[in-house]
Amino acid sequence: MSNSLDSYLILSGLLFAVGTFGFLARRNAISMLMSIELMLNAVNLTIIAFGAFEPALHTQASVIALLVIAVAAAEATVGLAIVMAIYRNRKTPLVDEYDAMKE
Amino acid sequence: MTALLPLILLLPLGGFVLTGLVGWRYPDDAHRIAVCAVVASWVVGSIVAALALLNASPFGTQGAGITLWTWIPATGFSADMGLFVDPLTACLLIVVTTIGMLVHVYSIGYMAHDPGRWRFFAYLNLFMFSMLLLVLADNFLLVFAGWELVGLCSYLLIGFWYPRRLAAVAAKKAFLVNRVGDMGFALAIMAIWTQLGTLNMQAVFAKFGGVPHEWQIAIALLIFCGAVGKSAQFPLHVWLPDAMEGPTPVSALIHAATMVNAGVYLVARCNPIFGAAPEVMVVVAAIGIFTAILAASIAFTQTDIKRVLAYSTLSQLGYMFASLGVGAWTAAIFHLMSHGFFKGLLFLDSGSVIHAVGDEQDMRKMGGLRRKIPITYATMLVGAVAISGVPPLAGFFSKDEILGGAFKNGFLWVWAIGFLVAGMTAFYMFRLMGMTFWGPSHVDPEVEHHIHESPRSMTGPLILLAIPSALLGLAIGFPPETGLLHQWLAPVFEHTIAASGRVEQAYTFFGVDGALAIATTALVAVAIVVAWRLFGVEIPALGLRAQPQPDRVRALSARPGLSFLYKGSSNKWWFDDINHKLFVDWGGKLAAAALWFDRTIVDGTVNGIGTVTTDAGLRIRRIQTGRVQNYALGIALGLILMAVGYLVLAAR
Amino acid sequence: MPIGDTLPFTAIRWDDILFVALAVTVLGSALLVVTMRDIIRCGLAMILCFASLAGIYVVLGNPLVAAAQVLVYIGAISVLVLFAIMLTQTKNAPTRLVFQTQAVAAAVAAATIGVVIMATVLATTWPAGSSRVWTSTSDIATMLFSQYVLPFEAVSVLLTAAVVGGVLLARREPAARDEDRP
Repeated sequence: MSNSLDSYLILSGLLFAVGTFGFLARRNAISMLMSIELMLNAVNLTIIAFGAFEPALHTQASVIALLVIAVAAAEATVGLAIVMAIYRNRKTPLVDEYDAMKE
Repeated sequence: MTALLPLILLLPLGGFVLTGLVGWRYPDDAHRIAVCAVVASWVVGSIVAALALLNASPFGTQGAGITLWTWIPATGFSADMGLFVDPLTACLLIVVTTIGMLVHVYSIGYMAHDPGRWRFFAYLNLFMFSMLLLVLADNFLLVFAGWELVGLCSYLLIGFWYPRRLAAVAAKKAFLVNRVGDMGFALAIMAIWTQLGTLNMQAVFAKFGGVPHEWQIAIALLIFCGAVGKSAQFPLHVWLPDAMEGPTPVSALIHAATMVNAGVYLVARCNPIFGAAPEVMVVVAAIGIFTAILAASIAFTQTDIKRVLAYSTLSQLGYMFASLGVGAWTAAIFHLMSHGFFKGLLFLDSGSVIHAVGDEQDMRKMGGLRRKIPITYATMLVGAVAISGVPPLAGFFSKDEILGGAFKNGFLWVWAIGFLVAGMTAFYMFRLMGMTFWGPSHVDPEVEHHIHESPRSMTGPLILLAIPSALLGLAIGFPPETGLLHQWLAPVFEHTIAASGRVEQAYTFFGVDGALAIATTALVAVAIVVAWRLFGVEIPALGLRAQPQPDRVRALSARPGLSFLYKGSSNKWWFDDINHKLFVDWGGKLAAAALWFDRTIVDGTVNGIGTVTTDAGLRIRRIQTGRVQNYALGIALGLILMAVGYLVLAAR
Repeated sequence: MPIGDTLPFTAIRWDDILFVALAVTVLGSALLVVTMRDIIRCGLAMILCFASLAGIYVVLGNPLVAAAQVLVYIGAISVLVLFAIMLTQTKNAPTRLVFQTQAVAAAVAAATIGVVIMATVLATTWPAGSSRVWTSTSDIATMLFSQYVLPFEAVSVLLTAAVVGGVLLARREPAARDEDRP
């Protein structure tokens, strides 16, 4: 099982699905960000898995995965800074109370 | 000389404008401008008419006209403001201007106590302008303009005492019934335009032979439809008796002598059109003579003096249309002229009587007025004798020519009914005389002290009208069928008469014509004697004296066969009731149904579309929650759809 | 004593057992992250998830990325998240619903996504080798600083910008200075 590409891809697919559910269903903004991190990790896993099973790609896959990790870190920084700024304004971390764009 | 023509129109128009603008400041003198304008117009009109009748240049035998300016200069359609005078126009000019002038003078006295008389004179002047425009016009569109204007003036003048509800209703009725006829006339004008491409009357008559026969019939029928409305023939006769709500000078001018003659004038003027459609001429004759007997039968039982005269007018107009229909064109115009004078005289006389008995119009409250208002009585007697057709007054000649023409042109049924109506006319006129002037007085005692003869401004016109009523026949109609009027009008009608193929038979005094004349006179004499026996007579000069016998009248009208006729006659043969049921009741229901349809279905649909849109908008608005997660769910769902769709498609 | 390739007395290979254990941990902790009520416990579950993922990277023969994962994700991002949680929770606010109104629809959507991906993966024959390849670190380094040096620099700029931006967004407004008062 650990020798077949399919199992890693299925694992990453399921992880992505879980992350999607968390992003769409949680009320706390920080929970949403954690779900985003899960999704990014799923993508990372896919890339690394392809790199492991396709010899011509393995170095590139690793490089790309490293870059993805860096970008995810940057994104988490900015995202959490925004959440903190909004929290200071609205006194609540719950996203369904950020509805100033409501029609 | 043709430059004088616009002057005839401008004088009354100017009078209307000035009196209308300034008259309210000077109510006592408001009449001066109006009367002067009409007298001046009469002078100019008489000059023009004389020149036209004598065939002097520039009129000649075919008449002449001038075009003032192009009224509607559109591509493909044009109408001019043009005036035209020929002998037919001249006859109408004489009647309209003379009677108009005399009615204006009469109104000075009649309306002396009315605070609104500046309006009255303004409207009268506007009416003179409209009628003269109608008579002088040279194209159909201008005639139609004058046609509508006289209708408007009739409305304004009938409803002159508009605070009175009956007057306002009568004015509205007159206008609406007229409108029905006017629609026919408008359709005729449209048909003429599409068939002939021109609206100039002389041009239309010249080219009319080239029109397909069905169109000729259609155009002639539609023109007659307009004439039926304006001249109050059956079935559009219902407005004329109610029009008596207006002041008496109005009844005299509009509803006896001028406006109602417009229909006769139109048919006579369009004689080439009618000559080309003999079927329509039969229709004209039929409707005319039917109206004559219908109206005469109603006049038997009316108690309002003006109503009797109104029905009498309807009856005589029926005579004129019957005459046009049988092809006796000149006889119709002759009757038009003589009727104008003696009916105008009778109406003005009745106005004088009403004035004398304090605005009472019911004949049952009159009686024995012979001694008290002698001038009125004398002139009214002259008028009654004239309308009854007693020789040698005007009515005899004109009526006789009509009946002779009907008989000789083969319309025996028209002759028979006309013969009967002549007798009926004499009967109800002398019934009127008996109830009003002879016999014991039934006048209200309080009013009796105040009975006085009318002022000179009123009796002057009466005397002036009595003269032509008596003498006109001898002047222009004798010898019969070769007199002055025939000579004048021959060029107008000769083409149509020649085209109809009828040969003009000479008047034979000792033959057919003489026999007819004697028969008619005999019937008239019998009718008069019967009227005298029932309603009384007091003519000391002829030694005639009899008492009215109201019991005998009542017994006669209660007789089983006659009582139905009496009831029908006094209910005007229920025409007003039929019209009310058909148009007011059922028309009202139809209108209510249409209103329901419009409100519920049409408006409902339109409003419904709006409501649906608004509601849909309100509901769809809820998608915009402003929350990112909801939008993200939308994105996820879209992604799923696209992925699944792609997979399904790729699997195929 | 050398351990064989498989579990003794069975044919199950150690690789598979390791993979299955790590996979279960990943999924289980991910589920805990998205469903637990207490958000601090969610953060801790997330740390566990990242750690298991690092283990899977090792199984896949990529120790460098596994190390990077532990350093960056667990060491930096998770700590950042926990700090943020600390700074945005009010003590006296009653905890209300955990999930949104659309949670059911979201679950359905997520499940569908998972199923679709699984179906796609299973239906495709991957033109790949049949076994894992060990990645050497020197190869990665060579490639990173030769072929991918531009993205490397760009990402460093990105990180700087992110940090500066984050600091700017999150700082308190300075107190207003009264310049009029002497």
